[in-house]
Amino acid sequence: MTRILRLAVLFVVSMFLQWWWSAHLSLWGLAPQILLVLTVCVAARLGAVAGMCYGFAWGLFLDVMRAQLFGANALALVLVGYGTGSARRQLDVVSLASQAMVVFLMTWAYFLVTGLCGLVFMRTFLWVGWQAFLFDPLYNCALVPFVALFWEALVGKP
Amino acid sequence: MYRETRVANYFLAAFSAISLVLLSLPLTGPVRSFKACLVYVLDPVAYHGAQGVARLANLPARTVSLILADIENREFQTEVRKAALLKAEIEALRIENKRLSQAMGLKVPGVRGALWARVMERDPLHWYRSLMVDAGAEQGVLVNSPVLGQRGDTLVAVGRIVEVRAKSSVVLLLTDELSSAAAYLSSTTLEGLIQGQGGAVLRMNYLHSEAALSNKDDVYTSPTSATFPGDILIGKVSRVNPRDPFLTFQSVEVDPAVEASALKEVAILRPAVEGGKTP
Repeated sequence: MTRILRLAVLFVVSMFLQWWWSAHLSLWGLAPQILLVLTVCVAARLGAVAGMCYGFAWGLFLDVMRAQLFGANALALVLVGYGTGSARRQLDVVSLASQAMVVFLMTWAYFLVTGLCGLVFMRTFLWVGWQAFLFDPLYNCALVPFVALFWEALVGKP
Repeated sequence: MYRETRVANYFLAAFSAISLVLLSLPLTGPVRSFKACLVYVLDPVAYHGAQGVARLANLPARTVSLILADIENREFQTEVRKAALLKAEIEALRIENKRLSQAMGLKVPGVRGALWARVMERDPLHWYRSLMVDAGAEQGVLVNSPVLGQRGDTLVAVGRIVEVRAKSSVVLLLTDELSSAAAYLSSTTLEGLIQGQGGAVLRMNYLHSEAALSNKDDVYTSPTSATFPGDILIGKVSRVNPRDPFLTFQSVEVDPAVEASALKEVAILRPAVEGGKTP
């Protein structure tokens, strides 16, 4: 029961953190995608299904915050959760180094999926810009140790 | 295939299907409104600039009005804060002016307060003559009080009170034929008399016969005016009338700074309080 409550708190607090960081702490318009890193973190620790459930809900939150394409972030984070959960069987994605690598690749995959959604549904590839494309993966990777600490503080070790 | 993998595939298919349905279906007005309001609460900056215009483009009209009203409200709050600072500066200058005037032996000018009133009624037969406002004797309005209108950030002369009732008053507009006020031209400080013509345009008479007049001048109330305080904008010269050899003065036509039919609110100036604070 306590674990479920903690996971629920993680769900809400992480959305607040994402909003707060984007609104108040973005550097040159860049803010880390905490929810993407957390989706990878959840999928790596709890499996693909949990990762997809969290990713879908967090994606809907991001879609509400976004002007166009309702559903693109949800789809992208679901795929991130599925991809990480699937990689769990071949890789040790819980260790920080490998998780950082997964986050790095998943950030580009996330950009690609949202861009393709734009191409299909708006007839425009939603390009995030070179700045975000090059630096966001690094920014997200830098966040991995802190997200791991956050996870352990809130949910506990697996 | 492992059970976990199978379940994960089912979840993937279900979530992907839901996401694609959400992507392909247009959002209804209430959903778009909810989304916009939530984003505005969490991140108001998103509704400023070009990005804000794009976000507002697809929203229902009432939601756009609501968000724009809040944006305007924030801007007005900033203006009010600036105005408070300005007021403090003006108060300091007024005190300094009073002190210097007393030191020079000049009469200290009185301080006027303003009472804002809404325009209640216009008589179609007397469109350029008068209008009625919703402040009267109960609010402290007196006959002959000057009435100012707002144009942007500045107050401009509109007319004077000629009739006071309990809760309303009648304003005689400057454009009325019976109206007149001492005024001066901005470039030459030449004084003349502004008179109404019963139409949209005013006439300024008694300007020096040899003065070079231009139609770029602004016209302000003169400090010698019996009704208006000095230096209040009246309008802009629209035409310099040809000199009449039989007259000893020149005249110009003046476009009022504010169209009387566009007035929604007016400021009625209260009598001056000698050397006191703003009433």
